[in-house]
This record gives sequence, C-alpha cells and structure tokens, in this order.
Amino acid sequence: MNNQEVEVEEGRTLLDAARALSIEIPTLCHHRAVPPAGACRICVVEVKGGGRPGLVPACAYPAQEGLVIETDTERVLASRQMTLRLLLARCPDSEVLKELAERYNAEPLPLEQKDDKCIMCGLCVRVCREVIGPSATCFTGRGADRTVSTPYKMLSDVCIGCGACAFLCPTGAIDPAEFCTHPLEKIPNEFNCGQDFRTPIHVPFPQAVPNKPVIDKDNCIHFKTGKCGACKSICPAGAIDYDMEDETVEEKVGAIIVATGYEMIDPAVYEEYGYRRYPDVLTSMEFERMVSASGATDGRLLRPSNGKPPKSVVFLQCIGSREEKIGKPYSSKICCMYTAKHAVLYKHKVHDGQAFIFYMDIRSAGKNYEEFVRRVVKEKNVTYLRGRVAKVYPRGDKLVVRGADTLSGGQVEISAEMVVLAPAMIPSSGVRELAQTLRIGYDEHGFLSEAHPKLKPVETNTAGVFLAGACHSPKDIPDSVAQASAAAGKALGLVSHEQLTREPTIGVVNEQTCNGCFECKNVCAYGAIERKELRDRKGQLLAIVAHINEGLCQGCGACSVTCRSKSIEVQGFREDQLFAEINAVSR
Amino acid sequence: MSSYKQASEDASGWQPRIVAFLCNWCSYAGADLAGVSRFEYPTNVRIIRVPCSGRVDPMFVLKSFERGADMVLVSGCHPGDCHYTTGNYHARRKLLALREMMSFLGIDPRRFKMSWVSAAEGSKWSAVIRQITDEARSLGPFESFPTFTLQEVKK
Amino acid sequence: MPALLLADEIGARRGGRDRCDRSDDYSVASAGRHGRFRCSVLIAVLGVVVLLIVFGIGGGTQKKRKLKAIQTGGPSGGCIPESLIDLPVDYEQLTQSGAMMGSGGLIVMDERTCMVDVARYFLSLLVDESCGKCTPCREGLFQMHEILNRIVEGEGREGDIELLEQLAAYVKDSSLCMLGGTAPNPVLSTLRHFRHEYEAHIKEKKCPAGVCKALVQFRIAAGDCKGCGLCKKNCPSNAIAGEKKEPHSIDASECVKCGVCYEECPFDAVKAG
Repeated sequence: MNNQEVEVEEGRTLLDAARALSIEIPTLCHHRAVPPAGACRICVVEVKGGGRPGLVPACAYPAQEGLVIETDTERVLASRQMTLRLLLARCPDSEVLKELAERYNAEPLPLEQKDDKCIMCGLCVRVCREVIGPSATCFTGRGADRTVSTPYKMLSDVCIGCGACAFLCPTGAIDPAEFCTHPLEKIPNEFNCGQDFRTPIHVPFPQAVPNKPVIDKDNCIHFKTGKCGACKSICPAGAIDYDMEDETVEEKVGAIIVATGYEMIDPAVYEEYGYRRYPDVLTSMEFERMVSASGATDGRLLRPSNGKPPKSVVFLQCIGSREEKIGKPYSSKICCMYTAKHAVLYKHKVHDGQAFIFYMDIRSAGKNYEEFVRRVVKEKNVTYLRGRVAKVYPRGDKLVVRGADTLSGGQVEISAEMVVLAPAMIPSSGVRELAQTLRIGYDEHGFLSEAHPKLKPVETNTAGVFLAGACHSPKDIPDSVAQASAAAGKALGLVSHEQLTREPTIGVVNEQTCNGCFECKNVCAYGAIERKELRDRKGQLLAIVAHINEGLCQGCGACSVTCRSKSIEVQGFREDQLFAEINAVSR
Repeated sequence: MSSYKQASEDASGWQPRIVAFLCNWCSYAGADLAGVSRFEYPTNVRIIRVPCSGRVDPMFVLKSFERGADMVLVSGCHPGDCHYTTGNYHARRKLLALREMMSFLGIDPRRFKMSWVSAAEGSKWSAVIRQITDEARSLGPFESFPTFTLQEVKK
Repeated sequence: MPALLLADEIGARRGGRDRCDRSDDYSVASAGRHGRFRCSVLIAVLGVVVLLIVFGIGGGTQKKRKLKAIQTGGPSGGCIPESLIDLPVDYEQLTQSGAMMGSGGLIVMDERTCMVDVARYFLSLLVDESCGKCTPCREGLFQMHEILNRIVEGEGREGDIELLEQLAAYVKDSSLCMLGGTAPNPVLSTLRHFRHEYEAHIKEKKCPAGVCKALVQFRIAAGDCKGCGLCKKNCPSNAIAGEKKEPHSIDASECVKCGVCYEECPFDAVKAG
C-alpha cells in the first residue's frame, strides 16, 4: 500500500492494513463494531495490481496476497470529492460532511440540493440487526427514494431505546425516541447525583482507581438478553470477559487502616425546605457535581426547572447539623467553607447573579480559611445572613426563602432561583457492622473511636487497626490527608520492625496446680491455650497441662476466672494484686 | 463548689463507698473521657482497672463488700463490642449468676450494679455514677458482713 | 442465415452465459407505441453487420426516415451513430464504439428521435432500478437525471454537459455494482456521438429532433402542405385551422405539442423548430 509493504491477519480489510501503516483513509459508513457495508464509497482506494484494477472500498475489500494499492491517486481524490459533494447536496447542514469536504478540497458544484440529514450509511440498521439484535430499523424504498425507517413507518415494538443507532450515526439523523415505545430505563449516574445517565459499562468517575470500566450486570443488555456484546467486539485490547465472576480474596495483613468516609443525611426530612418537592432545591453535593467540569452539564450551572442559569442562589447552612431534635448534635465542620467556595464559584459562572448565605456561625478555623471567608464577603459581594430559614416555597417560577436576619433583627424574604442545602455529615452506612468485625469501638453516631482523643488520634483499641478521615469524625481534605499520613506511618511502624513489641500483661499457667481440665480453652477467644505434655527424664508422661501461647494471648483474663484451681494468672492483674486494690479502696 | 460534693454528705457525714471494676478498653476510657470533657460526677466511686470485664471474678465482688464497699459496679464494653470479643459475655453470665445468689449470701442485690459504657460515652459514665451514688445513699451503709480480725477467728 | 426463435426462448437463453460460449442470439426489440422508436422483433446471428439487421432483416426505418442511431444492450447499453452502421454485431466491436451487447436488444432510432431525450429516458429507467445502497448510483444518477430533465425542459445551463461528464465518470468508477457501473452509458455514448444535440438544447434552447416539448414549436410549411386535413382531424386540441386543399396552420397558443400532426403528415409538411 502506497509503496510500503504491510501484512495483516487473514480476514482483515484494506482499511486495517492502512491503519497498520498509519495511512489515513476517511470513512463514514464504517465502524469497527459493525460488519462493513462499503456503501458510502468515501473510503475508496485504487487497486493497481494483484487484482482487478479499479476503485474499491477499503473498509470492505479483503486484504489479499500480492495486492498493490494506492490510497491517494488523482482518481481516488476525484471520486472522494464527488462523493462528498453529492452527500453535501443531500445533507447541506452536516458539520461532519462540511469538515471532510474542506479537508479534501471538495468545492461545491451546482447540484440539486435536498434537505435531509441521513446519508444512508446504514450504520444504524446494521448495528441494530447485527449487534444489538432487535432489527428495529431497516432500509425502505429503493434508489433515490430509499430511506431508513421502521417497518411501515410504524412505532416500533422491538426497539429497546438503547441509542446505539443514534450513537453511531455520523450526522445525528436518527433519534430512537421518535419510534421507540418501550425504551430501556435510563440508569442515573450515581456519581453525578442522578443529574445525568450512564451506560451499563462505565468508569464510575474520571478519577476512579483503578481507572477501568466496570459492567453493571443488572442493567447490561448482554447479561439480560444474551445479545449485544458491542463492548467486547470494540475493545482493541480484548479486555472484556463476560465470564468473570466476583471472587472473595483472602489476604493476611499486618495492619488495617479504616477510611470508610462519609455520607450526608437526606434533607427531605426537613419538609420546610422542599427538597425533592421543588426541583430547584439542591443539596451541596448536587451543586458541586453540577458546577464540576466533568459533571452532567459540563460545569454550567443550570436550574433543573427550566435549564437556565439561576440569577439568584440562596445557600442554607447547618441543615441537620448542630440540631438535637431530628438531626445531629455535632457540627459537620466542612459546610461553612464549602458553602463559601460554592458562592464564589456561582459568582464566577453567573457574573450578575446574587448569592445569599444563611448561617448560624462561621467555622473557618483552618489555615487561611478565615481570610478566604472574609474575601468572599467583601470582594465577591456574597450576602451573609445570620439566621435560620423557616420555609422555602414557590412563587411563580421562583422560590421564596423566608428566614431570619438576627443581626438586623428582622425577617427576610428572598426570591431565589435556586436553593442549596448543606446537609449534616454522617459516617458511611454499614460502618457499625465493620467495626464489630474489626473489634473496634464507635460512638452513638457511628463515628469510629480512636484509642485516645488527645494522644492517639489515629489508633484504635485493637492493635494493628488504624483510622483516617471522616469515618473518625467530620473533617475536610487537609485534615483527612494528615490523618491518613499519620495512620500510614503508624501502620508502617508496626510492620517494619523485626520484633513485635507487645504488652506483657498476658496469662501464665502454674503447671504444678493445673489439672488439665481445659475449661480455660473453651473461654479463650484467641485459641491461645495449648495442650502441653509434662514428661520426666525417662520420657514418661506425667501430666497434660494447659500452656498459654505468648504470641496469641491478649491478656483478657477470662481463663483466669474460669480456672477452678486458680492455676492461671494474668501478669499485672493477678488475684493477689487485685485483692490488694480491693482492700485499699473499699474502706 | 460543685453541688455534688455537698449532696453526698448527709447529717452523719457518711458517704457511700462505691467500688467499680472497669474494663480497660471501654469503661475505663469512657471514665477518662468524662474527666477530659469535664463532666462532673460524685467522688464516691473508686475505680479498679481490669483488662476486661471478663477478668472480674465473683470473689472480687464479694471481697469488696467484705472489705467495706456499700455498692459494687462492674462496667464493661457494650455486648458485641468487647475488645476481647467474648469477655463481656462471660462477665455477664457469671455476674448474673452471682446476683441470683446474693440474697442467699445476705447482700441486697440492689447493691450490685452492672453497666456497659463505651470509650466514647463520657457523659453516660458520669450519669451512671450520679445515679448509683444517689441509690447507694438511699440504701444506706452496708453492714451485713462484719469484719473479722484474725484474733477474733481464733477465738 | 438468421434463425428465428420465439421470444420466450430468448428469455431462457439469456442468463449466465460466458462470453466465449455465448450462443448466437441477438434480439431486435421494439419499444412499441409508447416509445419513440419503431422496429420489429427479430433475432439475428452474431457477427451480422448492424446494417444488415436493420435494413435487411428488420425492414428499415419507419416511413423510410433517415436512420440516426442504433441503441444496443438495453437501458445500460450505448448507441452507435449511423456513421458506424457497418459494424459487425459482436462483443468487442460494440464495446469499442461505446455500446454493449448487454441483454442482446437493438433499438433503431431515426432522425425524429432526440438523443438527449433518449439518454434521459434510459437514465430514468436506471434511476428506478437503482437499489440505493451506494452514494454514486443513488445520488449521482439522481443528479444526472435532474440535469437532463432541466435540459429537456429548456433550462439547461452552461456547464451542464461538463457536470454530466464528471458525474458519469464518477458513477462509473465508484459504484458498488455494475448497475451503477454501466448506468452512465446512455449519457456517455450519446454525449460522445451526439454532443451537438446537447449543445443545441442548452445554448439555442432548441430540440433538433422536435421531441422536447418545451423547446419545440410545430408549424406547417405552406409549401409542403397539401391541405389533406389529416393533421386537423387528429389534433386533440383543435389547434389546426385550414380549408381542404388549402395550406393549414397551427395556432401556437392552442397547440399542446402532442406531436400527432408531426407524426401523421404524409407529406412531412409539419416542421418542428
């Protein structure tokens, strides 16, 4: 091809050979997920030798031994230009065609113009028939009257609304919504708080680790119907294996760091704020996702009710925090700072917008935090109102926020186009069960307990288990990172020594008095009681007594209490020592 | 001056003596947290630290009464949360069995208390002590076990 | 000598024959009254000179009019002008002159056949036959047909001939199947041999053969008219006036240009101009 030798696998086409040589050939009706058609003719190349001379479509013509191909001859270019001109005459508004026409210098000719969008490439028909399965669309009519439609142009009973046709269409000419009667349920994108939808095979979010896609088996068409399989046929690395099963992996580790993070309460419990009743009331997390460039709107802040940018936003802090009746008594720590940040982001996106923040107190105790809040107030013209909000209700197409402004001593009513609530932070669900498995403590809110509030903030009572982040208490990123580094340091310190240091307060058996009943073995939670044979010098068995494994014993003393002959003592907590204490304090 | 100190003294100047066996990981830490958090509670309680509530032999309880305690408290981790997994279960069973026998032994069972206080429950600890101190005062001094000296026994 | 075979035997022998052992069939077909051509059905032996078929076997042109061209091979075939009439009917010879054997048909056209209209007609058949899968045949033939329609309506533009040639070359080269590969043949071969007719349609807005209604004006040459009244009798719109034995005349405002008078006049007094 083009005077370069190339070898490709049996069954591959000239297009594959060209791509192997990095030779560019344009295509329109070709897609690697779908069998080729050779219909649009834009990919034609010239056979110069080794076969019948002439123009052939690279996407469909099989590579053969001895073929000599030229991809850029005058003849090829003339054909390509005319193809583009004819397609543009058919679909004059197509950006794809215009761009290709420019690239290949296809200047317009005085051709009869039509007003169509479809270039008849057939990708939609082929994908629906060969890959997805239902064959919902087909070509109808012939010649210049050929169109793509459903049989008899009727609404389709078989189309599942997967959108593969619309996805492949080079000109955006097909919309399954026009004929699909039972579309698939769209899957809300969990990471974007349901603001957009995702496919069954997806990377959860751009920074996911590992940054690989995963298949949601419950919604995947292949797993539901056995058809499709488009992802597997498209993957150039052959990385998709539908037969993979979940595995339970057992690992022996020396240390565990618990960093299970947080969730937020559902503010719908506060009916007065109208969350989920009025579409323009959002949580801070939903706001954060919407303003993110990787979010559902590419970072544009839009009112859910009408899709326009809000001219006024009211932020409500302390929704569920510092509140005893139905919320959480603690402060969630992060909301004052992120609300200030959100107000600034909003002003950057909507320059003439008005931002209001209802607060109780401003907790801005970190490094440069107070200065940031000051700037938000002074330079960004965000209005801070100290007071609680009584009610949010609709008026016309806006929302009215009625609250108190305690510093001026009155009620305020603000007409808002969007309301953002800052809900209280809670530990992730399931954390209590995890804590019981790890034998670490937790408080009444589910936050995991550190070994000592001042002196051991990253360790737990169980040796080898450490804590980091919001699972321990509400905290922001710098503090979480600091705590995580500390936990990692502690964990490394634990496993990096040759010998493990441990408390000496373990049990010891008095082998003279032990009668080998092994009741102690029944109560030991660690399996630290072993059978020991006592032999005389001749090797004759004298007795079998209990022996405590020093590595396993944790020193709880359950065996000591159980022993009928009082043959086990816990070092440091011996019976005589405890009796001495009792003696001392009882009087 | 805290109100509690005054309240615990009655006309005769007698104060109840409460001996408390606290497991190291939960209740002892909870009591420590109560102190750190500046919760106030009566000073009548005397704490003996044990590694686990399961270390508490029924004899310790009886010994305490013998030696002059008016009330004994054993406090451990919440069931399911024991630092040693099962220690508090053994404690619960043994000490409930002891409580069944207490009347027979001549001790008012109301003088023996068990509680579950976790390391995060500083305020609960102080509440428990306040409540049992009040009860101890209302029960009066424990006089059922006279103290025998060695000479008296020989006699 | 030619073997006379029945029409259905032609059909039975038509398909799938290899070039080198094709049997000796050649049919001369008539398009009947609906068309513009009149000949008879005949079958002739390969290699017989076209002249022989047309005049010897076929009986020559209607009313002994002047022969203009022969169209061979069905709609995708091409035409041979009168000047090449002494070609033998065989594959290579025909292809070289721009026609083809095709399905073995032969249509005789006289001077009253407009070659542009012929091209347009055949192209319309091929546009109908196109399956529509590939861009060249579907779009290219459509565009060519539009251009030809404009030309016969009198709206031909400068550059149309070049555009037709460009499109024809493209469709021939780039089509997916040989339907598209041969569809431009009528246009290409009529352009090759009868370019002047196209130019007359476009530049002078005239149809020399008197076929394209938009470009034709029928009038009666008084000198030739014998006043037989045949035209007047057959005129569907009563546009012809005239006394018996007197020269008749056509009222252009009533004339619908059906061409009946042109056809019927025994003296060729009706002129198309």
